[in-house]
Amino acid sequence: MYWYGSGINVSVDPTEVAARLREAKIDMTIYVPCDWKHAQQLGLVRNRQEYLQAIRQATTYIAEEGITAASREKDVELLQMIRTLDEMDKAINLLTERLIDWYISITPSFSRKYRRSETGASRLLPMIGKMEKDPMKKIAMEILSMSTTRTDLMKEVSRKAVVVIPNMSALVGGLVAARLVSRVGGLAVVAKMPGSSIQVIGAEGALFSHIRTGTPSPKHGIMFQHRRVHNAPREIRGAVARALAAKLAIAARLDYYRGEIDPVFVDAANVRIDGLMGMKTREKK
Amino acid sequence: MISVNGTLVSEGAGGVYGERMIGKYRVWDPYRSKFAALWYLDSSIDLPPGSVVLYLGAANGTTVSHVADYAEVVYAVEFAPHPMHDLLMVAKMRKNIVPIYGNATQPQRYAPFLETVDLVYQDVAQPNQATIAIRHLPFLRSGGRLILMLKTRSVDIRKSPEEVFTDTCMALEEAGLSMVKVVWPLPHHVDHAAIVCDLV
Repeated sequence: MYWYGSGINVSVDPTEVAARLREAKIDMTIYVPCDWKHAQQLGLVRNRQEYLQAIRQATTYIAEEGITAASREKDVELLQMIRTLDEMDKAINLLTERLIDWYISITPSFSRKYRRSETGASRLLPMIGKMEKDPMKKIAMEILSMSTTRTDLMKEVSRKAVVVIPNMSALVGGLVAARLVSRVGGLAVVAKMPGSSIQVIGAEGALFSHIRTGTPSPKHGIMFQHRRVHNAPREIRGAVARALAAKLAIAARLDYYRGEIDPVFVDAANVRIDGLMGMKTREKK
Repeated sequence: MISVNGTLVSEGAGGVYGERMIGKYRVWDPYRSKFAALWYLDSSIDLPPGSVVLYLGAANGTTVSHVADYAEVVYAVEFAPHPMHDLLMVAKMRKNIVPIYGNATQPQRYAPFLETVDLVYQDVAQPNQATIAIRHLPFLRSGGRLILMLKTRSVDIRKSPEEVFTDTCMALEEAGLSMVKVVWPLPHHVDHAAIVCDLV
């Protein structure tokens, strides 16, 4: 079967070609490539040029259809949102740091202790914003307004994550879940990953240096941002991360293939992970 | 292939990706394109006029646009939606590119579009690059050529590039290809091997 059809069912109309392709079952072991002269004999095209024009129309149509379908995948917007959020954070921090350095350079009496701490920045920015020094003041106001936008976006990401990836969000929160998905490029990819891979998403540097040179393996990547991992005592953090990653792998599959929350699964998973923390800490005593 | 004072170029309408022009020629940058890097190390690599090319891993269509300047037709396969979008833009301007939205690991999905080709050029970031190449041999005419840009890091990060390379060559030879030459396109591209072989 060729793109222009076979038997009496022949045409070069893009929509018909697309429909034909969807139905096609090709056995590559007995496959013979197309010959444009065959299409010419069938009267579909007059010459090589027309053949190429027709095939281009058909493949372009199918490609455009495919791209549109891909952009309609429900996680596509979430990925862009979380990436925007993380990049806004970077921009805000950079600008804040620069502005404070600037402020310090013209205010020698100012204590440098403010510099790195976040509370320092949050107090300093409004202060600079009230100053009469024009460009500096304006920049401070811009950063403050960007921070407000950032908070709104963060809330929106969490809201959307709960809808798009409900089970993963229930385990590690919308933001961390969205970051995991964004890092590997889509829910479809996470849904096919084993738990052990999910555990080290975001720790690729440490993972490859472990594989290559035998440094200790990473215990967690992006998952570390979740409170149950970073709040866990050091000696059981790896175990918690592993258990949580295994549950996340199941959650990702539920999200991808079923698309709705499974309260029974979520409760059981949470009990398992919290239980692990209680058990391991008791063992220590 | 055409070169101007030692710089590889191709003849066609410019402005595809902001490439430099020398007169009416488009400069083909070896740092952006492995095909160009290969030519700089071995100028006997050629794209004879009238060639029909199957290009796997077409990406944004940068290299594809240059190949299309030489070839009669380029069947360009790409599976990621974003690069595909760019490729469609490139294909709009060049009437001899057939843009195929498909996954090179599943040639049966787009096989109904393909005719017999003179050259299969493969540049995909996949672990099973030898298998992908071999699955496309039914499209290659006898005596035709395969250029496999082997990304050794995509195959197995635990093995050394040389090991991956040896395994790949063995698989290709078993499939009935005969090695013509191998070029490691340094310094332009690290941990890549350009494997050139012919179908006998």
